[in-house]
Amino acid sequence: MMELLTTHYNYVVFAVLLGIGLYMIIDDENLVKKVIGLNVFQTGIFLFFITISVRDGGLPAVGKGSESAYVNPLPHVLILTAIVVGVSLTALALALVVRIHEEYGSIREDVVVEVLEDE
Amino acid sequence: MITLLEAGLLVFIVLSALMTAILRDVLAAIIVFGAYSLGMAVLWIVLRAPDVGLTEAAVGAGIMTVLLLVSIARTTRLTGIELRPVEINWGVAALCGLFVLAILATVPALPDMGQTVGNPVFGEIYNHYVTMAYEQTHVENVVTAILVAYRGFDTLGEATVVFTAGVAVLTVLRREVDA
Repeated sequence: MMELLTTHYNYVVFAVLLGIGLYMIIDDENLVKKVIGLNVFQTGIFLFFITISVRDGGLPAVGKGSESAYVNPLPHVLILTAIVVGVSLTALALALVVRIHEEYGSIREDVVVEVLEDE
Repeated sequence: MITLLEAGLLVFIVLSALMTAILRDVLAAIIVFGAYSLGMAVLWIVLRAPDVGLTEAAVGAGIMTVLLLVSIARTTRLTGIELRPVEINWGVAALCGLFVLAILATVPALPDMGQTVGNPVFGEIYNHYVTMAYEQTHVENVVTAILVAYRGFDTLGEATVVFTAGVAVLTVLRREVDA
């Protein structure tokens, strides 16, 4: 068990971050904090991708050939794309939050539901 | 084996993620989330992913924080009750705990960190990119070579997503004009 922890610690943190993000998405009443939860969940997945790309003694893949051991560049590329797409998603989600606030006067989910029920 | 720097960063990251979940004040949660992103950026550098680290620092800690701050400036920062932490809903917490346990159950099947033997990530494609990238694209940074040459269409798709999101944000925020 301890041995597993010393060789897989990043994967444990990955699982914990996913759990924290999921909790914020499900339970937090504040819509802006739901969006932050989405981002925590997302960065947890980034941690998984970057961790599988690591090799002991590996250097960043910069150079003219394979004279030294490089870490795997492909997951890095995928995560670069994912970060930018994640920001686009966050921007759109926050725009919707601002719009919801204009319409219902609150960024709290429970208040918005109350206003909807009163109508 | 875990280094002190890595251990410290991982503890910092998990604690700041927990803080964002617990803090009721949105402004405080946003600031802690900025610190969380910065911790992540440093961790990417430690894990030998400098390109990802730079992007995370600029986009995750920079642009994301600004976007969040602008959105609470245009809405409300809850006042009066924000000093109390969020009451934890133990039902949901148990559900998330089960989710974490389900993922942890798959962790022993993953290859050891840093090992290339039996790690499918270090296969034929890895060898091709690392040995051929300079010869085929004349770009020394293999990450850049893959991003703009081998997977150029992927990056074009990414640009399309950013454009679409920009159009969508403008559409959502446009004032309704009486016709």
